[in-house]
Amino acid sequence: MITAVRKPFDEIAALLAGRRKVLILGCGTCVTVCMAGGEKEVAILASTLRLAGKKQGWSLEIDEATIERQCDREFFDAVREKVAAADAVLSMACGVGVQFLGEVFPETQVLPGLDTKFYGATVSQGVWAERCSGCGSCVVGEFGGVCPVTRCSKSLLNGPCGGSQKGKCEVDPENIDCGWQLIYDRMKALGILDKLAAITPVKDWSTGRHGGPGKIVKEDAVL
Amino acid sequence: MAERRITALLCENSAWKAYLDAASAGAAASALGRIDPVKLPCSGKAEVGLILKILEQGSAGVLVLGCPKDNCTFIRGNYRAEKRIGAARAALREAGWDENVVRLDFISSLDGHRLLDIVGSFERYIDDHSSP
Repeated sequence: MITAVRKPFDEIAALLAGRRKVLILGCGTCVTVCMAGGEKEVAILASTLRLAGKKQGWSLEIDEATIERQCDREFFDAVREKVAAADAVLSMACGVGVQFLGEVFPETQVLPGLDTKFYGATVSQGVWAERCSGCGSCVVGEFGGVCPVTRCSKSLLNGPCGGSQKGKCEVDPENIDCGWQLIYDRMKALGILDKLAAITPVKDWSTGRHGGPGKIVKEDAVL
Repeated sequence: MAERRITALLCENSAWKAYLDAASAGAAASALGRIDPVKLPCSGKAEVGLILKILEQGSAGVLVLGCPKDNCTFIRGNYRAEKRIGAARAALREAGWDENVVRLDFISSLDGHRLLDIVGSFERYIDDHSSP
């Protein structure tokens, strides 16, 4: 899923300063699962803003809603009236949802309520960790199912580097495993360590962010 | 000053029973007169959004009472409550409120007398510290 965390309250309050009526719009997919921008988080932020308004004398009116996804056009139909009635919409979706909201409602000011982080998995309750960088050309098949682009802090394809110590990465030895230690351990356990002897050629990074904004066209799905 | 109401979120396995005991004693009735009791299946169900909504709708304080530590019917529900109350108090700080208008304590079903002490202490705090 795409993971995110809520922006600091003061930053959100500054984004909303001077506005009369704001819709806080949650997203029911990825950011609901990572507990950053779903229905519950929308309610918590809305209540916190209303309580702050009471204390500090704001005249900000806050409406709230959550739709299934903010990255698919059809789900916005349910909130067209609420969007039209608001000065601005604070989107609790990832960066994709915030921008797409603005494309669906070009007359509406859209504001981000979250900081989008990474493509990650739920590794334990309340803990999410990065697993994919969206490089556009997956190589995990050559590395025992562990991604060197994401799991190695330096995205080395022929690792490890000299910063690998006791299975940890020099970037943050307390919190980051060495991706190449993970690759080695996994391939050893699978009995395919011999594959690591191959030198991996330079990767074509243009399939990902380095090639500019990506676009997929699936011809048999286009109407 | 108008009477300021307090909402009590009570675990049905401990605090709710203590509340019923205390409420059934005539002498205790007046002490509980300002309390709006809500029975929860577990103190861990006291969600952040619920606590903030209760305050938003005009309650002067929220008292959450769960099972004694390490004696929770649902094993770790009261530890969950501790974290959730911490998050609710953090939200109140962000909003510029006194975080102590939300209080968590742990009592057994036999602690009717303690419940009266906790309620009395919280009522005094609300009257002394929080603005209407």
